[in-house]
Amino acid sequence: MSVLQRPVTALLVGLLAYGVVLGPFTAYMKQKPIEEKFGYLPSINVLRYVSVDHKELVGASLVMKVIMYFGGVAEKQQANVIVQPPDYARMSGILHGAVQLDPYNMDAYYFAQSFLTWEVKQYQMANNLLDYGMKYRTWDWMLPFFAGFNSAYFLKDYKQAAEYFKRAGEINGNELNISLAGRYMQASGQTELAIAYLGAMEKSERNQAVKKNYQIRLKAFNEVRRIELARDRYKNTEGVLPVTLDTLVRSGLLSPPPSDPYGGQFFLEPDGKVATTSKFTFAGAGNVSTPKVSK
Amino acid sequence: MATIIHITLKGIFRDRVFQGIMVLAVLFLFIPSAASLSMRQMTELTTTLSLSLISFIMLLLAVFLGATSIWKDIERRYTFSVLSLPISRTTYLWGRFFGIALFMLMTTVFLGAMALIAIKAATFGYPPSRPVVWSTIIVTILFDALKYILVVAVAMLLATVSTSFFLPVFGAISVFLAGTATQPVYDYLQTPSVQAAVSVIVRKAAETLYYLLPNLSGFDLKVHAIYSIPFNVQGLILTSIYFAGYTLIILSIGSFLFAWREMK
Repeated sequence: MSVLQRPVTALLVGLLAYGVVLGPFTAYMKQKPIEEKFGYLPSINVLRYVSVDHKELVGASLVMKVIMYFGGVAEKQQANVIVQPPDYARMSGILHGAVQLDPYNMDAYYFAQSFLTWEVKQYQMANNLLDYGMKYRTWDWMLPFFAGFNSAYFLKDYKQAAEYFKRAGEINGNELNISLAGRYMQASGQTELAIAYLGAMEKSERNQAVKKNYQIRLKAFNEVRRIELARDRYKNTEGVLPVTLDTLVRSGLLSPPPSDPYGGQFFLEPDGKVATTSKFTFAGAGNVSTPKVSK
Repeated sequence: MATIIHITLKGIFRDRVFQGIMVLAVLFLFIPSAASLSMRQMTELTTTLSLSLISFIMLLLAVFLGATSIWKDIERRYTFSVLSLPISRTTYLWGRFFGIALFMLMTTVFLGAMALIAIKAATFGYPPSRPVVWSTIIVTILFDALKYILVVAVAMLLATVSTSFFLPVFGAISVFLAGTATQPVYDYLQTPSVQAAVSVIVRKAAETLYYLLPNLSGFDLKVHAIYSIPFNVQGLILTSIYFAGYTLIILSIGSFLFAWREMK
């Protein structure tokens, strides 16, 4: 009996200590700031050699880390909890690193496209990354489709957009890309097309945090479209552009009054363009440095 | 030699190594659910995780079976009784090697089957952007097995001269790490900017190591399996010949060293 006494005592002490600390420890880890959880990552040049024959695994892990980090911040933002805006610069840097380890990783391009454009307005950086991906994912029509959308909608480079859409059309044999390119090149009806683009993206999205992000943006653009239609009707009847949104609401053309899901206030610019004080982000866009992808 | 191969296989199964692998293989069941976190490439991520798990298990097997087999025999003084039989030391060494290699191939078949089931399950959840090419995955797993069989040969070479298992274990791990890095380092040194900045001696030393150490990058075909990218068949043939040649050299050197080794 005495032989077992010590290990049994040690086990009981261990279980007691574990039981006592488990609750507070879990709570501490749960409360830990997201930025701390994001942690330190060695440079990609180090990772390239350390990851030996698991480069694709390490690349995928980096992308997952970014997606989970973003999911954590986005869910808090969507629940109206005040948090620091996502560290887009860091996210961008890690995704650029991930595609150097695995240049075929679709998640990296897809996710980078979703925030580099709408959130941080680094359109050219997004297209450079997509150009890099196109060299590898030669069968993937989505990359030139994204790049075409960025060129037309954000960069207003219709010639380049046409080339991207043509390439996307050649890959998937779908006339949609070509017709989209044609409509974009008219440089009109952009909100309608953005709604079509966001609707397609939202529909095929599986990650709930990103899906919710698309839903909110889609809701905002639907509101913009509603205001645009009311504005155009007002101009047709009155012959002049309305000065404020109140004019549209009072005239009964815009009912119910528009609501910005990002918490901002819609307004009309002097040229009649619909804008919002939120700039379609929860906390305004951050600055992103321009990481380069090695050839 | 067939007797030694048989004894080696029997010994490995007796040590319950295969049961250990089966326990680790349970992880395959969780791979599809872990891969569901991916936004767009659930099947691709399942393939990545499955192939990496196979690689990890095979590395452990290669290092520990390759490094401890001969050392254990010497430590337990089994070699004295074995070598008193009418077989040469070379036959003993090669028999041990082929026994372990055969076990590695058997494990590959088992783990490969588990991986294929996991990947098939993932395709039901979210269809891949490109159709899965099963033959590509199978060839990739086979070349992975060849890579680790080569590591077994290296570990056994080190074991022929070592009196403890530290040198073969850590030596094999070091050679594995260096072997996967030689190609990227060699490519890096060939770039014009590096050629101007790095001294000739360093470059020559790196080049010597490049030819001396096993080039394991050639055996890593994961990217082809994950994204259904066609192989360069000529490259596969060259890699196979490289494997046969390098393994033969390593085993031959091992045989010389083992023949000269003094057994006390």
